[in-house]
Amino acid sequence: MTIHLESTINGRSVGINVDPTLTLLEVLRENLFLIGTKEGCGVGECGTCVVLLDGTPVTSCLVLAGDADGRDVETVEGLAPDGELNEVQQAFVKSGAFQCGFCTPAMVLSATALLRRNSSPNEEEMKQALGGILCRCGAYPKILEAIIAATGEGA
Amino acid sequence: MKRLKQFAYHEPTTLADAIGALAAGGPTARVLAGGTDLIVDMKIDRLPTTAVVNIKRIPGLVGIEDLGDATRIGALTKVTDVEESTLVKERHPALAAAASILASPPVRALATIGGNVGRASPASDLGPALIVSDARARIRGVEGQRDILVEDLYIGPGQTSLACSDIITDLVVPNPSPGFGSAHVKLGKRGSGTDIAMAGASASIIIRNGVIEDCKVALASLGPTPLRATIAEESLRGREAAEEALAEAAVAAAEQATPIGDIRASASYRMTLARVLTLRALRAAVESAEERGAS
Repeated sequence: MTIHLESTINGRSVGINVDPTLTLLEVLRENLFLIGTKEGCGVGECGTCVVLLDGTPVTSCLVLAGDADGRDVETVEGLAPDGELNEVQQAFVKSGAFQCGFCTPAMVLSATALLRRNSSPNEEEMKQALGGILCRCGAYPKILEAIIAATGEGA
Repeated sequence: MKRLKQFAYHEPTTLADAIGALAAGGPTARVLAGGTDLIVDMKIDRLPTTAVVNIKRIPGLVGIEDLGDATRIGALTKVTDVEESTLVKERHPALAAAASILASPPVRALATIGGNVGRASPASDLGPALIVSDARARIRGVEGQRDILVEDLYIGPGQTSLACSDIITDLVVPNPSPGFGSAHVKLGKRGSGTDIAMAGASASIIIRNGVIEDCKVALASLGPTPLRATIAEESLRGREAAEEALAEAAVAAAEQATPIGDIRASASYRMTLARVLTLRALRAAVESAEERGAS
């Protein structure tokens, strides 16, 4: 059995037939080869699989493929469509806000979503927004520094 | 990747079709709401599942509505939307607080209030808050519609009194009486929410002329279901809302707790938490009542 999805992925309309037992994470990585989205725990606890669904960060490992139909999905690949990094990504580079980089797509997407909603969040709001994403390297201070820099504060 | 095993997938567009698919699928057919519990249970093989009935194409199950004397929250309303609702914050501080510390933001954006209730986790954040707010669940099943107190839904860990083909369509929370205040507190390992509760407590209180007229306490992760601490409640009725009374009630609440020890906390530590969190919830509920104008 397959189901048909018509979704907007990184700004492009995508029509695709998939097995309904796949998760959005699997569709992105294996059917669409968008491997910037990572699987860590696979059960919604680590947050590395975060993508933006209609603009909101969600754990894509817990979304069944059928629920992506008709929705707008944004992955880390969509943040720099022409190779031009967005302001959050640039700030991450400048601050060195990563070590292994595995959580970076989720961190960058969540921070981007936060800044779209609220252009001048305070530190507590930043921490809350990233609260679901684990960085095993413990790069949190640099990540916070990067997001503060991306808001134009502390520069 | 952790794969899901094969299952039949349904996307009904009416409640009748959804109930039909559940009835036909039998006890291993599951309702898919937000998926944040169901998908996990399927991935780790905790819940045998042969059919998934995704109810998100059914209209009318999302949204928070002022009914005048109550607040109706559609079962598919996201936890994020419960957390951010002005109506919920004004009327039911415990529920807003519980929603704000349930899991993490990217999970709250998927998880639904109906799913959280239907999952019947003993560690539920919303369950105790709904119980102390006297919430009812509206159920649609083969035999039509009925309302049931959220408290009466829970019969064991992961078990509700609902039939396999029943669907929770709404949560209806009556408006609080004058002098009402409520609060929810939780302790998890990862700080500000995010993690499953080692223990949690909700309290609601009605204070008139400085005296506690009524009070409800419900505990999370301290028994097989979200648990009413009825002895604590009884001990507070008719007393002044002072620290000594709250502290005695907290001790009584711990005596009614029947926690297990597991990976998150030992049973004895949970007993301590039962007292400490009940006390914190009661203090916060009194504060909430005072902020809302109780005297």
